[in-house]
Amino acid sequence: MAKTMDVIREIFGLLFGQDPELRQIIGVTLRMSTLSALVSALVGIPLGVILGSTEFKAKRFVNRILHTLMGLPPVVAGLIVFLFLSRSGPLGTLKLLFTVTAMVIAQIVLITPIMTGLTANIVSVKAPLIHETAAGIGLRPFQRMLYIIYECRVQFVSTLLTGFGRAIAEVGAVQMVGGNVQFKTRVMTTAIMMQTNMGHFEFAIALGIVLLVIAFLINSLVSRIQESAGLA
Amino acid sequence: MISVRDVLVQVGGRVILDIPLLKFEEGRRYGLIGENGSGKTTLLRVLAGTLLPTQGQVTRQNPNSLGYMPQAPYAFSFSVLRNVEMALENTPERRDNAVRALEAVGMRNFLAARGNKLSGGEAQRMAVARMIARPRKLLLLDEPTSSTDIRGTDSIENTLLDYARNSGCTLIFSTHSPAQALRLAQEVIFLHQGKILEKGPALEVLENPQTESARLFLQHWRI
Amino acid sequence: MKKLCVVLIMGVLILSLTACATKIENPVIRLSTTTSVNDSGLMAYLQPVFEKDTGYTLEITSAGTGAAIEKGRTGDADVLLVHAKASEEEFINEGFGEVRVPFMYNFFVIVGPEGDPAGVNGSATAAEAFKKIAEAGATFISRGDDSGTHKAELKIWKSLELDPTGQPWYVSVGDSMGKTLTVGNEMQGYVFTDKATFLAHENTLSLLLEETDDMKNTYSMIAITSQRYADTNYAGAQAFIEWMTSEKAADLIAKYGIEEYGEQLFFILAAK
Repeated sequence: MAKTMDVIREIFGLLFGQDPELRQIIGVTLRMSTLSALVSALVGIPLGVILGSTEFKAKRFVNRILHTLMGLPPVVAGLIVFLFLSRSGPLGTLKLLFTVTAMVIAQIVLITPIMTGLTANIVSVKAPLIHETAAGIGLRPFQRMLYIIYECRVQFVSTLLTGFGRAIAEVGAVQMVGGNVQFKTRVMTTAIMMQTNMGHFEFAIALGIVLLVIAFLINSLVSRIQESAGLA
Repeated sequence: MISVRDVLVQVGGRVILDIPLLKFEEGRRYGLIGENGSGKTTLLRVLAGTLLPTQGQVTRQNPNSLGYMPQAPYAFSFSVLRNVEMALENTPERRDNAVRALEAVGMRNFLAARGNKLSGGEAQRMAVARMIARPRKLLLLDEPTSSTDIRGTDSIENTLLDYARNSGCTLIFSTHSPAQALRLAQEVIFLHQGKILEKGPALEVLENPQTESARLFLQHWRI
Repeated sequence: MKKLCVVLIMGVLILSLTACATKIENPVIRLSTTTSVNDSGLMAYLQPVFEKDTGYTLEITSAGTGAAIEKGRTGDADVLLVHAKASEEEFINEGFGEVRVPFMYNFFVIVGPEGDPAGVNGSATAAEAFKKIAEAGATFISRGDDSGTHKAELKIWKSLELDPTGQPWYVSVGDSMGKTLTVGNEMQGYVFTDKATFLAHENTLSLLLEETDDMKNTYSMIAITSQRYADTNYAGAQAFIEWMTSEKAADLIAKYGIEEYGEQLFFILAAK
């Protein structure tokens, strides 16, 4: 019983104390996830808008590829990026392996298709109606696209948040291409895995709690946004 | 000033529209009537250019002066005023033109209302305002009063008549109501299963339908 | 016809089960060892022979030394094979293990980029080599996972009164020997590793220093006490230790590595 109290005390100490390594790990995680989510959104959302609002010959084929990419296992994405960035790979001279950049790249590979797919779904519902009305008024294709994006803006925010949540929880790919290097590429998920392997459960639990809190906050925000969009 | 030739619209093997030749004259008002699924909406979409026919061609004299209002017009999430202004060029007169158009359809009190909070009828009136806020040579309207109440319907019909008479534009609209066709159109076209079965002056077609299908369609209606 | 098949299958199953059960009480031995031992390939080499000779089945799990020993405390292992003397003795003192049986040793080595920028090659001791690396600020990749290898590395830094934590050239990965070598290969840095794993691992690093006194690494086996957990396979653990210290095993272990790498990787401790 005493041991449990010690453990709880240590966890609280880590959470509210000034453990620099804990805070550093959280900082790297947030930096990486924000960058991954933003870039994925910048690429994925416009692609999704185009996919969801236009008809073209190869559309079914593109959709099939998109769905395959959406289901890409994280470790496979990690492997592909690893092979590209390693010394013996085509991009080896960039020396990007085991850096935050490499982790962001791997996450972009994983998250962009998801953003594209989600966006295409959202847009495909509203786009035909908007398209007809906008074309009927005499708006040009570019203007129509802008209006479609504007009308779906609320859902785009929730898509962005979903991407962020995915980035922060990812462990396979970032472990492979990031290397979990102390002070450099150690993020919450890889740190939890390592500390558990080493048997240092207090640190792992503290990190786990932080991760849970963040994930919970994001999901609440997304739900809130979805609800208000539904009523809008 | 707009005509279709040898137009065929096929979806999945089914023929939805089949029109060998159809010409619309400038400045006249045409009403399309027929059952649901008879091809009214398809014809309007082909004329508007939002649907490409499987075969055939559409010839438009003034393609840039066309206004098309679909069956369930989309109301954007910003203000009603903005919703109408978006159809106009950004000139100093834009706001006044938009306000005037909205007044014509009886929506003066809705200027600041959010578009996505409007009822079906209000959204349709607003969509009509969009159409008439600036001069157009051709107006295509798909059931423009399907959701409006009697006052709204009145308002829209009067507005359209005034606009058509003053601007000399061509008006082509579809409707479920033969009475509306009589009020608003000079010529009536009856569609059945994608084909034109009747075409002629409104009173004639509606009083003396020549084909069996048209007779059946109009049997419950009396002048 | 269907019913007959079901009866026949059931009969065969029951027969096979009873046939197995007659020989040994608990045929499964849970061996907890370190990632270094596992990565060297030694256990994969010995396991089939051991299982054939004794009829036991070996369930091998590997983790960092700390976690590997922890399995003994939590009752998740029957026998340990590790190489961290201090931790092992602590373990015995706490009463989790019956006795510690050191039985083989090998040396850690220092590997690094072919060009050897810090001039490690030719150092008299590992400590001297570490000092050169620190002074040159050359990239050094550490396991950083509290394993036996890591503890041995830290001991050397401590002897120099140097703490490399947080230095820009010191890369701590918190992972297995194999993984650490992979990172070392990518970054072309220095790595403190056991020779067996290094040879078994595909990389372009060069062997720069070996067989100094301060790099000797002793492996021991510990049978977990049967007093703590009811299902501990003490008999199995004893059988394992007995076989591993037999002449046949000694012979096999001494031969391991010669064919593939041209040299012996593990040396048998002379019996006292």
